[in-house]
Amino acid sequence: MPAPPLSPSPAVAVLEALGYGLFVRDAADGQLRTISQPPAWLAQLWPALDAPGSVLPVADASPFLENFLLDAAACWAAAGEQRLSSGPWVERDPQGGESELEATALTLPNAGGAVLLIQRLGEEFTDRKSVLQKSRENVLINQRLNTELQKKDILLHCIAEDMSAALGNVITSLRLIELEQEPAKIRRLLDLAALATQEQQSLVAHVLDAFADEIRCLYGGSASDSRRSACDVATVAQETVAALEARFREKRVRFNFPTPTPASARVAINREHLERILTNLLENALDAARVGGGVALRWKVETDTVLVEIEDSGRVLPPETSERLFSRFALASSGAANAETRLHFCRIAVENCHGEIGYEPRADEAGGVYTGNIFWFRLPKSPALVSR
Amino acid sequence: MIQKKVCLIGTSAVGKTSLIARFVSSIFQDKYLTTVGVKIDKKNVVVEGREMTLVIWDLAGDDDFQRLNLSYLRGSGGLLFVADGTRQITLDQVLEIQSRVVGAVGSLPCLLALNKADLKACWEIADEKITDLRAAGWRVLSTSAKLGTGVEEAFGELGRLMLPPIT
Repeated sequence: MPAPPLSPSPAVAVLEALGYGLFVRDAADGQLRTISQPPAWLAQLWPALDAPGSVLPVADASPFLENFLLDAAACWAAAGEQRLSSGPWVERDPQGGESELEATALTLPNAGGAVLLIQRLGEEFTDRKSVLQKSRENVLINQRLNTELQKKDILLHCIAEDMSAALGNVITSLRLIELEQEPAKIRRLLDLAALATQEQQSLVAHVLDAFADEIRCLYGGSASDSRRSACDVATVAQETVAALEARFREKRVRFNFPTPTPASARVAINREHLERILTNLLENALDAARVGGGVALRWKVETDTVLVEIEDSGRVLPPETSERLFSRFALASSGAANAETRLHFCRIAVENCHGEIGYEPRADEAGGVYTGNIFWFRLPKSPALVSR
Repeated sequence: MIQKKVCLIGTSAVGKTSLIARFVSSIFQDKYLTTVGVKIDKKNVVVEGREMTLVIWDLAGDDDFQRLNLSYLRGSGGLLFVADGTRQITLDQVLEIQSRVVGAVGSLPCLLALNKADLKACWEIADEKITDLRAAGWRVLSTSAKLGTGVEEAFGELGRLMLPPIT
């Protein structure tokens, strides 16, 4: 046997005791009126609500409630058992104080029909906010960790590539020695092999330094100064080109270095990063260049920046590839995973130094036909006295 | 006076509340404080010589913990979608939200604010992506609630888009 319906008076008394604002819609004029003495907080928010029977000043007082009451009207029209909650919102009183509220629309046939309850959330709101704050902070931490992992992933690829490139140089030099008769040339190839070996050793040292820096940072220290530096494009370019000489020779690709070497061009970037950028772009050009073709490196000192260009005579990249060259995984579909990692690293390194990087096809002298590719990057000049 | 409702939409922690605080009160707080539910502010502006009141709805970020209640958008004159330039995922998310929003309220004047321009060196959203968005018809602005860069411009541009024709 169903329980008898609750009479309006005890229900109102309970809600009043709980601090709810209780309104019933007047069937005659559609206004929402209080059916008991409004709680003090409600009168503070809307001073017009000062006695039983006061009208909720919806249109002027609260854009949020005005919007919610359109949904509430649909709920009341259905006259079922469903309740509709507004979700929490913040309302400002005339003095500028803020209250966190939540409204509920429901139909109570024995208590006047369409009813609107407004609750001040107080601690409940604070608790809800605290849980959400923690949850969202954890999501942010998780996203940051994922980004870090991706960066580490790229760095590991770069390290593996560096190791592989240096080993490649040693192997190429040794292969060429087998074919060489002239002692002077053999001597030169041995020097190149030794240089590549030293490069590999230096790379291992840098990796260890980087790990040491990270550990220092973890324990509250700061990264070593060697990571915030400046260097000369000409010097680094010459050394980078020398390290790649055997590979150029093996593929029979001409390398054109500017003669005479342009004036010193110091840029604000860590030396190892500039070496890596130049190596990546030169290897990229070497891969693209036709056997017997050419690769050129040049740079130009501008007002506040230095522009470096690497030009190859390879097949011109299609526009759909060139637009996304520096994005991670941009070349995945073409199977050029190494090139993709190289270019993405270049972009990260250049942009970290507030520089820019780009690509354009190389036009012939008449400017009508594209005959190769130009990768360029621009770095801010370093202050004259910045030392390595 | 013309009055227009503007809703800020995006996932959590992209800077919606900070953009409003910068625009309405010229303040910025570095600490992230999550928004629960809705908070409404008003600001009078002059757009092309005409006075306009913007009623700005700061909606809690749409994420796994809280979904955007599409009924809050009813009556909006314009929408400001917000993503965090340092987190590519927030752009993907706001584009997904936008498709839900268009399904619910149709096409409204809108802008996409890529916030946190002060951290440009850490941005994950590439220039090519922004070019693609513009090509797809988005009005994209770079904003920094911290520095105030682009904030007035974003709300001003939205105001212009919502301005009713002079009769």
